Amino acid sequence: MRVEVSRRRFLQNTVALSVVGGSALSLGALAAESAHAGSLPETTTTKTGTGSAEIIPTLCGMCVNKCAAFARVEEGVLTKLDPNPYFPKSRNMLCPRGNSGIQTLYDPDRLKYPLIRIGERGDGRYKRVTWEEAYDAILNGTDKFKGLAQILDEEKDNRATIGYSNGEGLSKEGFEVLVGQKIGTPNYVDEISICLETTLGGYVNTIGTYGEADMNNADYIIVAGANRAEAIITPDTMDMFKRTKKRGLTMIVLDPRFTNTAAKADRWYAVNPGTDLAFVLALTYVAFDEGLYDKEFCQKYMVGYAEYKAHILSKKYTPEWAAKLTGISAKEIYRTAREFMKARSPIYYQGRRSAFSPNDFQLRRAMAIYQGLSGNLDKKGGIIYGKKIKLPPEEVNAPMYAQAQTRFDRKGIAIPADKTGSWILFRNMILEGTAPYPVRVMLMRKHNPMSGVPDTTKTEQLLRKMDLNVMIDILPSDTAMFCDVILPEASYLERTSPVASFGGLEPAIVQRKAAVKPLYECKTPEVIYKELAEKLSEPLWKNTLKYDEDVQDDTKGMKPDALKKYYKENGFDLADAWEKTVEESNKERVVKAFGEEAWKILEEKGVYYPHMEAYHKQLDPNTYEYYPEDKKNYHVKGDKIKVVANFTNLTKKGVDAMPTWHDDMAFHVPKGKFRLITGRHAQFTQSGTTNNAMLRDLTPTNYVWINSRVAAERGIKFGDLVEVRSRIGAIRLQAYPTESIAPNQTFLLHGFGGNSRGMEMAYGNGGNDARIIEDHIEPVYGAAAMHLTDVEIRRV
Amino acid sequence: MARYGMALDYKNCINCKACEVACKEENGVLLGADKHRIWVGANAPSGEWPHLDIVSSTFMPSQCQHCEDAPCEEVCPTHATYYDENHVVRVNSDKCILCSYCMNACPYDARYVDDRTVTVDKCTFCSDTRLARGETTTACQNTCPTKVRTFGDLDDPESEISILLKTRDHFSLKSHLGTHPKLYYLT
Repeated sequence: MRVEVSRRRFLQNTVALSVVGGSALSLGALAAESAHAGSLPETTTTKTGTGSAEIIPTLCGMCVNKCAAFARVEEGVLTKLDPNPYFPKSRNMLCPRGNSGIQTLYDPDRLKYPLIRIGERGDGRYKRVTWEEAYDAILNGTDKFKGLAQILDEEKDNRATIGYSNGEGLSKEGFEVLVGQKIGTPNYVDEISICLETTLGGYVNTIGTYGEADMNNADYIIVAGANRAEAIITPDTMDMFKRTKKRGLTMIVLDPRFTNTAAKADRWYAVNPGTDLAFVLALTYVAFDEGLYDKEFCQKYMVGYAEYKAHILSKKYTPEWAAKLTGISAKEIYRTAREFMKARSPIYYQGRRSAFSPNDFQLRRAMAIYQGLSGNLDKKGGIIYGKKIKLPPEEVNAPMYAQAQTRFDRKGIAIPADKTGSWILFRNMILEGTAPYPVRVMLMRKHNPMSGVPDTTKTEQLLRKMDLNVMIDILPSDTAMFCDVILPEASYLERTSPVASFGGLEPAIVQRKAAVKPLYECKTPEVIYKELAEKLSEPLWKNTLKYDEDVQDDTKGMKPDALKKYYKENGFDLADAWEKTVEESNKERVVKAFGEEAWKILEEKGVYYPHMEAYHKQLDPNTYEYYPEDKKNYHVKGDKIKVVANFTNLTKKGVDAMPTWHDDMAFHVPKGKFRLITGRHAQFTQSGTTNNAMLRDLTPTNYVWINSRVAAERGIKFGDLVEVRSRIGAIRLQAYPTESIAPNQTFLLHGFGGNSRGMEMAYGNGGNDARIIEDHIEPVYGAAAMHLTDVEIRRV
Repeated sequence: MARYGMALDYKNCINCKACEVACKEENGVLLGADKHRIWVGANAPSGEWPHLDIVSSTFMPSQCQHCEDAPCEEVCPTHATYYDENHVVRVNSDKCILCSYCMNACPYDARYVDDRTVTVDKCTFCSDTRLARGETTTACQNTCPTKVRTFGDLDDPESEISILLKTRDHFSLKSHLGTHPKLYYLT
């Protein structure tokens, strides 16, 4: 194996994550210390060999989607990731991010050993320590910051003083078990309230599922506010684009921008941001007014069918009305409405993205009801409910803490999410001093709110306000730079993850196996949870004994042995959730549910579903069959299907029972300003992928899109540095004049503009949209509404 | 012995560039935006917002066309460029003197300089990686989310590519030049 010199090696001197106390170790030296024989490649590509190789099933971790892959490992080095043809969800494909996972694994900027802050928050000065020293610092603090023991003592065992957050992933549940259930705080915030909460909520509350769009059999699809060519979701992306362009699937795309998805459409409508609801209501109006819908289906399955019909017609949601709001002509709305209902298998695609406007919950409701009007639910070519293969649950012995208070981030919210909360409200209430008790700790894993949550300035204030911040991650993110203790985690390619079940039309269970051993001093998340739990368990138990009256009552007069028994039996032994390793637990669960043979298949192929050996076939070099046609779960609900058009209970919460347009939803941009819209790119996920050398070659930076005629008026040319300023902040990045965006709107890719010097490629590259997106929330869940910010753009 | 070619169902292409990354990782192509064996050509849509011409915005995956009459092979003074036993146009880096005649002669701009060997490099149809291991697909075909590509033996009438070319309309790039590319774009 040849280790190539890359241009990254020449850039290495600029790495500025200061490691004080430790010598400036090069990657090569660290590699020699790690478990690997031979040398490790730096950020480079390694040609695959023709000799022996281990082929290990893995599950991609470059985005949330979880595509199955096989890792090719030669002499201990991962040389290639190939798609896994056994997984029905990802259908033998890997996207550019999946392919470039190798660059994330071998990223020279990886966190390599535990770090303790010795400088001020944000200045990047850390000391290399042992794992034991890092755990000890979390418990007992240092001269720079307080530890958990002191903070919980001062807060009289109110566990809710700890906030915690985790990005999406297979080991996320374990972190929730550790911090939420075992340590015992309710204050969890994750990506859901800055992501698709309203989409899921809208659909589940209307048709009982988010569902799966059967792209292989639909013949007409409206894709509004979803960009499947660039925000890849499997199997939707692979299935739909094989049939667009007059090959069986008519595709209508609504997007303020001309995206790669729009390029594959039959028609593209440049809808005004935030007005999709008016479009759906107008489609619904035409359906009712012209009698173009499945009346039998609606009479049978639609709750509030008559009221909804009366509501839509009496409000006069005509295409003429919607044209003024959406910018789409009445003629085109009529055309689409009629085509949709006349199609054999039409789908109004659910999409999945952050809430863009405050009406997003009602938009999703209107979309789901409209789908119901077509009757194309729970059937081939429609939105299907599918099935999920059940895995035995894992029991957690969660202790009760009498002193732990409840969560508070629900002010003004109609349906607060108990488990996941509202990131923006949680943060802002702490900053405004309206939280009912002090939140003093943030325990974070694989989550970068400095980039993900709108208004970075406030997020930074939150982190500065804390007494203790801890991060578990693979790269020194912007958020990690405000943490007191940083724990280096094994990347997804270095760990076996808890087995997962993916439901749908063709359900399967999957297992990610470690392709290589953890590099450097990194540890797998479950090992970190266990060790941290072991460290914290007894000291925190003593704190509970000191303050918790319920526990004091229960344990009054107990002898040490009895007390120890009580501690164990009532779940106060924090580490008891990790008595088995992930590998042991996976095997136990799979064997229990499906037998030894299933486990063997899963171990070898990474995928298992009942009858897989008989069902799975290769049809041609590019096509596999996973289930025979008559075994696919097209139709599972029977008469239990329900479409809730009139959701009367919502009125009690101050939410419209039926989707309704309100005048304040109209789109308006002050003259000379631009509405900022955000989005994705096939070559990037989020801030976590911006340090990937391969992806950076494909998308070197994020540009700010400006309509080319407007740019010409202002003398702005491609590549010119411009300042984009909103009410809350300003960023600088390069201009990209284009006709793919409206004169009064602007767009930039999310995830760029990193501010951590430890991430060499991401640092200072482009602009961080979270610095300028205002922190508006929608009223149903308190989810971030991302498209309400107007900005000024000027050349600098 | 085979005569390898590739059919591209290019209308499936969403310009995600998975093929480009898979190619680089499989074949150890140098990092760097200007170093690639394969790529996707994209046209910005013509027209003014919101009246853009969707049809004008196409994605065209491209690479070495493995011409039957390859201009690059003709001009190479050292015979570094050659046809291998499977009719794949290859470069012998030991013979290459980087005169760059081939780079200028190639009508498809399919060649670039590998800075490690300081010689010309290009697509090999994964001959020395995947095919050498007995695999039957190229890295780009295997990874493609929308399954644009079908690689195979044009001399085998039963091969998937032969069947595709017999049953689907197709065209070649710059066919007027008489290079006889072995990449076929399906319509």
